[in-house]
Amino acid sequence: MRVALKYCGSCNPQVDLLKIGRRLAEVIARRSDLELSPVSASDIDFIVVLCGCPRACANRDEVKARAKRHLLISDESLGDMDALESTLLAAAQG
Amino acid sequence: MGMMTGQEYRASLRLVKPDVYFLGEKVKSVVDHPAFIPHVNAAALTYDSALAPEFEELASATSHLTGEKISRFTHIHHSHEDLIKKVKMLRAIGQQTGSCFQRCVGHDGLNSVYSVTYEIDKKKGTSYHERFLKLLREIQTRDLMVSGAMTDPKGDRALAPSKQQDPDAYLHVVQRKADGIVVRGAKAHITGAVNSHGHLVMPTASMTADDADYAVCFYVPVDAPGITHIFGRQTNDTRKCDCTLDQGNEEYGIVGGEALIVFDNVFVPWEQVFMCGEYEFAYPLVERFATAHRQNYGGCKTGLADALIGATYLLAEAQGAQGATHIREKLVDMVHLAETLYCGSIACSCQGYALPAGSYMADPLLANITKLNVTRNAYEIARLAQDVAGGVLATLPSETDWRDPRVGKYVDKYMKGATGVPTETRMRLIRLLEAMTCGTALAESMHGAGSPQAQRIMIWRQANLEHKKRLARKLAKIKE
Ligand SMILES: Cc1cc2nc3c(=O)[nH]c(=O)nc-3n(C[C@H](O)[C@H](O)[C@H](O)COP(=O)(O)OP(=O)(O)OC[C@H]3O[C@@H](n4cnc5c(N)ncnc54)[C@H](O)[C@@H]3O)c2cc1C
Repeated sequence: MRVALKYCGSCNPQVDLLKIGRRLAEVIARRSDLELSPVSASDIDFIVVLCGCPRACANRDEVKARAKRHLLISDESLGDMDALESTLLAAAQG
Repeated sequence: MGMMTGQEYRASLRLVKPDVYFLGEKVKSVVDHPAFIPHVNAAALTYDSALAPEFEELASATSHLTGEKISRFTHIHHSHEDLIKKVKMLRAIGQQTGSCFQRCVGHDGLNSVYSVTYEIDKKKGTSYHERFLKLLREIQTRDLMVSGAMTDPKGDRALAPSKQQDPDAYLHVVQRKADGIVVRGAKAHITGAVNSHGHLVMPTASMTADDADYAVCFYVPVDAPGITHIFGRQTNDTRKCDCTLDQGNEEYGIVGGEALIVFDNVFVPWEQVFMCGEYEFAYPLVERFATAHRQNYGGCKTGLADALIGATYLLAEAQGAQGATHIREKLVDMVHLAETLYCGSIACSCQGYALPAGSYMADPLLANITKLNVTRNAYEIARLAQDVAGGVLATLPSETDWRDPRVGKYVDKYMKGATGVPTETRMRLIRLLEAMTCGTALAESMHGAGSPQAQRIMIWRQANLEHKKRLARKLAKIKE
């Protein structure tokens, strides 16, 4: 399954979104059933909309429409990497 | 050619041949000279950001002219969202560079000229806007970096442009020809001038009929014949040539790298002229540009403050002071001061509005308030950082002595702070704080986008004080 990470733009200094993104990319890379794709690719199955705050700048219809399914991450779950990892895997499989 | 990467931007600079002087020498290659490399790096990061997954949501946009993806730095705002995203982009990039990345000035120039040319044409039947759209399309599709060259040397501040003893104290038209105009004068303090592709030249003040020759706005490539760039000195600038750690921010330097641009009878074809004698539009252009530029300062300066606050906290840890209550209070104060600036920039963006040309501008009153706060808060943030840092900020031995086989061991031993933190870590943090809070870096917060008095004048004009008097009379039951 091809998974893409879409960032909101990463301006919130309270959250190290780049670190979170790298960690999610590692999780995806470790799984043989998942493959990291650029957001610009045309055949994405699943898109993770990764936003550093609840304002969620990347939570736009045209972003979500790029994949068959999406997962929006923009809340306190950003602070718990393990929970985030499980959410990602559950959502990707679901 | 479409959007460029940072490397492609560097390569594109090699193709232009601006006349650049620094420390009495003519510079062969801006991209390869140590004085300019950090500034080129900072500008290059704006290019990479527009393409990077982490930042593209903010740093890129969709052109309203071509429908193509472009750098936000060449985009014309068409919504509140655009205005807000500009501020967020500036903060996000500022966090990475810890220094000025230069492209906002030209961006604000493009937005101001876009709306004002539309209005000149409506009133005067000219065709400036159409010409400008052609240029804009080229800038967007080639992803060009454009400086915003507004500030004139200004000579005697008490005199209008046309009343100066030296007529070139403000840039002006010296000849009108069938195919274009010839201009003479200079623009001072221009950010990113030596590593831009072109200059967008705008008048710097409101003008009267006597000043009509000074009411001129145009675009020129940086290497147009007759243009000379004289690069300005910065605090500790020779450190760029003889050391690394001691630079503090080796990668991105201090402020934007500013130059005096001299225009010695420069020919500008009509297709690149967007105002020529319409003096009554000089003030609207200045006001639009000032608003757009002042809107920025709570974005980029907050991004820089994020890095500075982090450096201050790390240095407190490196010195074992992080547990003290007053250090925590100072860090909280720094965050408070920085986020206050951010509030201003976000607020003036949310309160922005559409102009007749369809583009959006920020709320002028709130943008001026934001910048006026910057002229104070940035200094207070720096003061707190210096307080936490200690006197070593001003007395730290050099990197060369630290590396010296004879005295290096003493520097390393006596410059060490908390247990477990290498001396090098402490030295690096001290130098970063020095670069960000001493000298040139601070003056930019004071005068960049206009001196405080310029904001006060705008605030006086915009604040509607008569309305406030009416409110008071009503409450106090005083008849008008
Ligand atoms: C780091 C940096 C980057 C910059 N980048 C750019 C850029 O990219 N593009 C650009 O166009 N400009 C740029 N500027 C210029 C900036 O906009 C000006 O510095 C600012 O507008 C103030 O002008 P000035 O420096 O000539 O100071 P002055 O105008 O000489 O001001 C000095 C003092 O005199 C006062 N004063 C001035 N005129 C009068 C008067 N008539 N009556 C009473 N008091 C007066 C001012 O209020 C101020 O207190 C930059 C400046 C800096 C420091």
